[in-house]
Amino acid sequence: MQDRRLKYVLILPAALLVLGTTIWPLAVSLVTSFRDWRLTRSLTPGPFIGSEHYVTALTDDPDFLNALQVTASFVAIDVTLTVVCALGLALLLRRAGVLHSLTRAVLILPFAVSPALVGISFRFMFNAEMGVFTWLAGTLVPWLKGYVWLGDPVASLLVLVFSDAWRWVPYMTLVVLGGLSALPREPEEAARIDGASEWQVLRDVTLPALLPVLAVVAILKTVFALKMFDQVVTLTGGGPGQSTTTLAYLVYSIAFRWYDMGYASAVAWILTAMLVFLAVWYMKLILRKPGGA
Amino acid sequence: MSGTRAAAARRRKLVVKAVESAILLLALFLILFPIVWMALTAFKRPVDLFDLTVTFTPTLDNFRTIFAAPWNIGAAVWNSTVVAGLTVLISIPCSTLAAYAFSRFEMRFKGALFFTILATQFIPAVVVVLPFYLLFRDLGLLDTHLALVIVNLAIVTPFAVWMLKGFLDAVPTESEEAALVDGATRLRVILDIVVPMVWPGVLVTAVFCFILTWNEFLFALILTRDDAVTLPVGITRFRTERGDLWELIAAAGILISIPMFLLSSVIQRHFVRGMTGGAVK
Repeated sequence: MQDRRLKYVLILPAALLVLGTTIWPLAVSLVTSFRDWRLTRSLTPGPFIGSEHYVTALTDDPDFLNALQVTASFVAIDVTLTVVCALGLALLLRRAGVLHSLTRAVLILPFAVSPALVGISFRFMFNAEMGVFTWLAGTLVPWLKGYVWLGDPVASLLVLVFSDAWRWVPYMTLVVLGGLSALPREPEEAARIDGASEWQVLRDVTLPALLPVLAVVAILKTVFALKMFDQVVTLTGGGPGQSTTTLAYLVYSIAFRWYDMGYASAVAWILTAMLVFLAVWYMKLILRKPGGA
Repeated sequence: MSGTRAAAARRRKLVVKAVESAILLLALFLILFPIVWMALTAFKRPVDLFDLTVTFTPTLDNFRTIFAAPWNIGAAVWNSTVVAGLTVLISIPCSTLAAYAFSRFEMRFKGALFFTILATQFIPAVVVVLPFYLLFRDLGLLDTHLALVIVNLAIVTPFAVWMLKGFLDAVPTESEEAALVDGATRLRVILDIVVPMVWPGVLVTAVFCFILTWNEFLFALILTRDDAVTLPVGITRFRTERGDLWELIAAAGILISIPMFLLSSVIQRHFVRGMTGGAVK
């Protein structure tokens, strides 16, 4: 067979997989989002109702607005924490040392743990009566003794961030370390010879050069924070109240507790639209590099 | 004068070093403690559960319990293995061929096609699962391995294409071209020359995809009930109406994590590349 045709044949299986497992369901969800379809009333899709679901979500649904707010807070805290910690840790780990190599060696471990298990473990460790983190916090800060972490709206969101950061900070540290090791050493050394302090070298030479990598970390983390679902189920269950109900968890609740497929699809598509926007931005950023597509 | 300044500099260096060590110790503690605590809990009797000391009489009872009725965690281990295994076996060959085409050929719409495949990994799983839930319900495929394999292909395939293209780009093309000049067909070249050369990359990608599928939770939560429940959903079953059976959760947690620790250590160097699509090498 000629290469001219063969190249398309080679792509076909993977293209069909993506088409069938992602593009098709996306299209179906989009169509469903314009229909009235509650599984409790009918097993077949109901009539088209235009953009009613979208209008309801954006103007008249306190649950949606709450989830939007929760998601925004979660993403903002989570991404900031992850980028700052990963950058700081990576800068420290660049040097040689026993503690350094020990830390580098364990960085990969948290990411291998199933997020669902991470959530459940943190629920155990923040158990109000005798969770080990509850005890530790109470010992270090006396007025936190016996504090019910998962019973408070703000604290439970912070615990959720903590559990997510536990899994992601070490991984992103590896990413930043990768970026650091690819930087040429000469500019830093030249700045030092010129008498710049360590802080000036960091601020004026290292960080600007590292900016593309930090952008990758920030965007990727934003995407994964927006999609975060597993720990909400296993750690907080969206509560107390709806204080940790993120958009992804709200879609799940609407679809599989209230069985409102139409409305769930609309909310899911609002989330998807945000992610596609980020995806396009991200891909432009990384495909611009030589060696990309 | 210069002597005291040197001493001050030395003292400052010591302080910096101490602070650095303290931060690293804290990082080590934060990373390792949850894992160690889970491992310890797995060997505790229920009465020792909330005892915050490390001196307890270890027991293997929890592991015996989770494998016995009514928990039968062995079934979940089997389901996870089958689902992750099949997903990888289907996805990797397809992705390798596509990655080869993207790496070696110029074609119309190549940019757009590659872009689309890669962008799909940003789609939230919850929007993908809604239509599949309805479809599988109509087809009677809920709670089957097949259903899980199909949806997991959605997560794994874009990653695999992206990673494999990176590996293939790094393989020199001289021996391929020589074989083509000698009259070998393109497919023979791919099978006999390219695949052996890129084999380490294929293995790394396969392991990476296996880990992703093994840890997947949302699809399994929605699409399975009893027969096809995988490990991440299986551990949530230990949160019963009578309370959370933490020692069993921990034992199952160790069971689900140890193989992934081993696999991820093997491919550690390439793990970063997997998630960032070669943006960071």
